[in-house]
Amino acid sequence: MEPTSSASIARQTWELENNIPAAATDPDAMDAIYRYDDAAQARAQQEKPWANDPHHFRRAKISALALLKMVVHARAGGTIEVMGLMQGKCEGDSIIVMDAFALPVEGTETRVNAQADAYEYMVEYSTINKQAGRLENVVGWYHSHPGYGCWLSGIDVSTQMLNQQFTEPFLAVVIDPTRTVSAGKVEIGAFRTYPKDYKPPDEPVSEYQTIPLNKIEDFGVHCKQYYSLDITYFKSSLDSHLLDLLWNKYWVNTLSSSPLLGNRDYVAGQIFDLADKLEQAEGQLAHSRFGGMLMPSQRKKEQEESPLAKVTRDSSKITAEQVHGLMSQVIKDILFNSVHPSSKASTSVPDSSGPEPMVEA
Amino acid sequence: MSAPSDPATAAGQAPAPAAASAAASSSSGLTFKLHPLVIVNVSDHHTRVKAQAACSGDSSSSSGAAAGQPPRVFGCVIGVQRGRTVEIFNSFELVLDPVTGTLDRAFLEKKQELYKKVFPDFYVLGWYSTGSDVQDTDMQIHKALMDVNESPVYLLLNPAINLSQKDLPVTIYESELHVIDGSPQLIFVRSNYTIETVEAERISVDHVAHLKPSDGGSAATQLAAHLTGIHSAIKMLNSRVRVIHQYLVAMQKGDIPVDNSLLRQVSSLVRRLPAMESQKFQDDFLMEYNDTLLMTYLAMFTNCSSTMNELVEKINTSYERPATRRGGRGAFM
Repeated sequence: MEPTSSASIARQTWELENNIPAAATDPDAMDAIYRYDDAAQARAQQEKPWANDPHHFRRAKISALALLKMVVHARAGGTIEVMGLMQGKCEGDSIIVMDAFALPVEGTETRVNAQADAYEYMVEYSTINKQAGRLENVVGWYHSHPGYGCWLSGIDVSTQMLNQQFTEPFLAVVIDPTRTVSAGKVEIGAFRTYPKDYKPPDEPVSEYQTIPLNKIEDFGVHCKQYYSLDITYFKSSLDSHLLDLLWNKYWVNTLSSSPLLGNRDYVAGQIFDLADKLEQAEGQLAHSRFGGMLMPSQRKKEQEESPLAKVTRDSSKITAEQVHGLMSQVIKDILFNSVHPSSKASTSVPDSSGPEPMVEA
Repeated sequence: MSAPSDPATAAGQAPAPAAASAAASSSSGLTFKLHPLVIVNVSDHHTRVKAQAACSGDSSSSSGAAAGQPPRVFGCVIGVQRGRTVEIFNSFELVLDPVTGTLDRAFLEKKQELYKKVFPDFYVLGWYSTGSDVQDTDMQIHKALMDVNESPVYLLLNPAINLSQKDLPVTIYESELHVIDGSPQLIFVRSNYTIETVEAERISVDHVAHLKPSDGGSAATQLAAHLTGIHSAIKMLNSRVRVIHQYLVAMQKGDIPVDNSLLRQVSSLVRRLPAMESQKFQDDFLMEYNDTLLMTYLAMFTNCSSTMNELVEKINTSYERPATRRGGRGAFM
């Protein structure tokens, strides 16, 4: 079938681009990651390779199952923050997340004592899960930031710091379900904090992301206290087989959904936030007009982008998403609405004449 | 998925091997909606148990297990039933006594209680297992679940990878009471289901299915990803339409007996085009279109003013001299 082959081509290109070893295509090697070696994990626990190097873990591998579970849970929470724990293991400089489960905690306010409340649940869940063949221990936690991007807030940083002291290895994952839907790709970040007294080297600023004005202070204060890990995903041979087949079933959804309609509130909120930021940027520019010029030496030092340039990026991002949404609408209009009555009468399969050039292109 | 869109798969499915007890299709009239998470969950459970068995068991038994019969896994499916619609959202594992083949009741209750805390709306709807076919012992487990849900469903996933297969190897069974040889007996009947996704779920399935790089990258790659998604969906639509077309041509030639009900379905499908033809829709569509254009215009504006601002700053920096600084700046700003 064509889609399957196109999917496999896409996968091969991706594997090539991202240096995935060829073994990944061999079913047995692909599933080897699903084996849990108790002895090796105990040995790692003993050696504690992460104790000396605060930057030990650089990669996070997340299974298809864990990703799906986390995103669905985060989306089910709506605008409320939800959290849960991840089970997995560590291997070299990567933390491997095999599975995730939700915790009965919701909302920002409860975050502080979430650990105490959820602890009992966590212990119960993982003990009984061991009986069912899920042998991995808890290796981290995830929570959602609906609509305001993937980063760690002050409370998140202290939670994560505490956990890294006592329950290493530990990983923090943040998911933004609202942006996931609006951007059409999974918005996810994996983070680890530095120890308290550690001065991180000056790193290149990670990928720029939009953060709402009312959160930007929280972001700015703590953004030097943690670093993000590269995320890759893996799936079993059976998973990939099923996912390919699944596509045969639900390709209709790609055509029937409209990001323009589903995200009205979010887009309105984004524009509102953008307006606020513009106003602020204007204030800062007016200020620098009179004050900033007097200290050219200081101005040279801040090579960062001006607030106006940041606002520009935000506005381009929102617009690009909107244009994508509109593009799908236009394509659908051409496909399903531009059928002329004459062609309807003349041929029994009218849409084979209309859309064909597009499909072949 | 509507039946006329793929007569080929429907025709191919009918003679599929099924246990004698499970051949009939359901008459309960329930609609089943299955979320991809459940399928991935069952698949993961299977893979995990298989991988573990292959490494922990001694060599003789593990090779036997790998070659012949991979261990079956069991679990519970949970979700919501609204009226005649059953939506299966999630699943969790169950433990089965390997000797007697009975459910670990305490485990089920504990697990159910834990899930209740996180997903208070979800109820136990039935159970799942893996294998190519319904087995005789399955009815015992099914009956054991009846005090949790009086008419449980049974979801069977066939873990064998068969590349020629076009349909999901997932079957949902319901149980029905039939009178066989004078005595009432419960038998499994096959029911139809559709795949249901919420938007976020669809995106992440897409994400893992095609293994897109996690950091969306530049605007260009995002656009490419977006268009590729639409492109493959349209390609799929095209191939489905082609199947119908070929079928109709064959019918016209007389290769296939004329099936009036199918023809009627095809005709109604074709007549649905154009999907939306009203002045109001055109107006709204245009408005949406123009709104987006306006947004693009505004973004362009912001972009320009930012570039302008940078230019002015640069000019100021290059021309400013201590003495004339104030004047020079005044001229530009």
